Amino acid sequence: MSKIILFSFLFLFALKLLAKDYRIADFGAKADGVTVNTSTIQKAIDYINENGGGRLIFDAGNWVTGSIYLKSNVTLHLEYGATILGSTNPFDYVKDKKIGWMSMIFAVNQENIGITGKGTINGRGFTTANNMVNYIERGIYIDPLKLDRPNETNRPQNIYFRECKNVKINDITLRDPASWNQTYDQCINLYVDGITVDSKSYWNNDGIDVVDCDGVVIKNSYFDAADDVICFKSHSAEHICQNVVVDNCVGRSSANGLKFGTVSRGGFRNFKVTNLTIFDTFRSAITFAAVDGGEISNIVVDGVRSINTGNVIYLRIGDRWSKGKKPFMKDITISNVYAEVPFGKPDAGYNYEGPVEDLPRNISPASIVGLPDYKIQNVRLKNIEIVYPGAGNPLYAKRGLTSADLDSIPEMRTAYPEFSQFKELPAWGFYIRHAQGITFENVKLIAQKKDYRPAIVMDDVQGATFKGMQYNEPESNGKKQLFYQKSENVITE
Amino acid sequence: MSKIKLTALFLALVLTLNLSAKEYKASLFGVKSEGITLNTKSIQKAIDYISENGGGKLVFYVGRYLTGTIQLKSNVIIELKEGAILVATSSIYDYYSAGGPKALIVADGQENIGVTGKGVIEGNSTSVLGQINAQIQKGYLKETVAKASPALIALNNCTNVTINEFNLFDATGNVQYYSGCKNLLINGVTVKSIDSKDSKGLVLSGCDGVKLSNIYFETSGKELETAGSSKNVSALNCKNVKGEKLQLKN
Repeated sequence: MSKIILFSFLFLFALKLLAKDYRIADFGAKADGVTVNTSTIQKAIDYINENGGGRLIFDAGNWVTGSIYLKSNVTLHLEYGATILGSTNPFDYVKDKKIGWMSMIFAVNQENIGITGKGTINGRGFTTANNMVNYIERGIYIDPLKLDRPNETNRPQNIYFRECKNVKINDITLRDPASWNQTYDQCINLYVDGITVDSKSYWNNDGIDVVDCDGVVIKNSYFDAADDVICFKSHSAEHICQNVVVDNCVGRSSANGLKFGTVSRGGFRNFKVTNLTIFDTFRSAITFAAVDGGEISNIVVDGVRSINTGNVIYLRIGDRWSKGKKPFMKDITISNVYAEVPFGKPDAGYNYEGPVEDLPRNISPASIVGLPDYKIQNVRLKNIEIVYPGAGNPLYAKRGLTSADLDSIPEMRTAYPEFSQFKELPAWGFYIRHAQGITFENVKLIAQKKDYRPAIVMDDVQGATFKGMQYNEPESNGKKQLFYQKSENVITE
Repeated sequence: MSKIKLTALFLALVLTLNLSAKEYKASLFGVKSEGITLNTKSIQKAIDYISENGGGKLVFYVGRYLTGTIQLKSNVIIELKEGAILVATSSIYDYYSAGGPKALIVADGQENIGVTGKGVIEGNSTSVLGQINAQIQKGYLKETVAKASPALIALNNCTNVTINEFNLFDATGNVQYYSGCKNLLINGVTVKSIDSKDSKGLVLSGCDGVKLSNIYFETSGKELETAGSSKNVSALNCKNVKGEKLQLKN
């Protein structure tokens, strides 16, 4: 046994020796915040890759660069005080032909790569994106400027890794990209630990995007993002995002907290999300969207604190770009949630605040909404407490409980999925439609002011069990808080 | 009219067209003139854009324009106005080659290209050479000094090239290198390159139709060198620092 230990120790030691450290300054790069070091950094990466691998160390200082490609067995290590600054010139970035996006740090088909250390990557995306707008307006760069902004793919992200294996992102701070922040696409074994993300310098600044990856750990990380915080996507109908652990993360967003989708062609399977805190977030703390033919299955979310978020839980099946594939969502467990939904705008004052939609709409409930032909199956909600503002005013917006009223809620099969998409909904706590096998266990719904709507409305639900429900709404003695139509096997204990 | 005359007329017409080609100011492409911003990618974008949009002149006004290797494309003329200096970056991994040696301005298989104006191309040889030596010593650069040293201009297999009226200073490698070019016109150029060792003024290799005129050379290496057979070459009023008239061999 001791021999084995000794042997492993020697082996690790040997690995350490092989993984040599190189300093970027030795290759002639300058930390003056001005020199564009792209070619020098690339040379250093290539050299380390060709000479047995190792760490490329950035000492304290400001290292400017355009697009670089990370190669196998190379780790970029940013010391405390080191910042990799993105060039603000859009022409210093490559739009990778295979990926179809611009990025500062690319890796394609590489393995054993990483970015580590207490330093920072700052895309300076606000300036870069606006420089790009300028070029587009002058006719130098072709882009339709949809919504008066360059397409996401024509603005650099900080990181885009595609089809890489054994990727480690530790300790770094990622700031201010011009587009999404960091994307890991079709990667195997992605390990993200202890990162800080400050990402609200331009439109579509996500926190982290994990696309069609297998084997993912994201933990101990903090995200402040203009767009979705922790976002899993499935771009490829032939791939799936699976075997994922998210633990001990905190995030804030002018869109959603934990999101599956919107692009959801293959799907999402085997997730365990624990100890998640979402605050000051414009849309939902949790949004699972299966709208492009993909599946969502075997998902456990345990331990959520959602403070000052526009919505708490939004589960949605749609039929947007399915191309004949049949979307499904089943076996979802969400437990141990405490949430507070505000009356006002939860992300007011942040850069790139979420867009206010056409009103009127009273505060929306959490929602589980499938389609008549694609029902959401087996959703279990346990130990949940949600505090709503209540105060739904029928003179402002009204959706009553008659069949005609409930049937007037549009299906919106092909629409972009957001909790607010249906405008006024008939419940203040939960709205559930086109679902099978819903379990509420020990769920407490609190309205701080009287609301004209009941707490829960169900429509077309087969099999629903409510155990240990508590409804707390002022001036509501005798009010029926659970209402349903076209539903069967509804059990209240 | 004889065939030759017709051809001449046609050529003249083409030249006139070229002269009246569209002018683009470098700032349109975000090129900065303060001498610190590395403009490589913006200048390259400008060249690509102009080439793809019918050709024209990319004009640099007074200022220092830091850059690494840029690649000329068909129907693009770089015009350096008086006081405009294209400054070679000291960052040596920003140089590459295109069919010839590494150089600040390269082109391979392009036509109707040129550099004109009363400005300067500055090779920055002391810094560049210092970097090359340091990188070789550290073992990161596995090239000879000669191979790693960028020229100022290296054109390969190009047709209708005009190099007119400006100043070429301080190359790390040779100053100019032309291989396999047809119809090469170099006029009124001042070449000063004495800081690096054996910096040749102009190297010709396998060119056809070369007219050199009014060129002044002050170089640490040979002023004119013909490597490989070139034909139809002439040199008019080309001299070196000692006042010697320089001739080219066919």
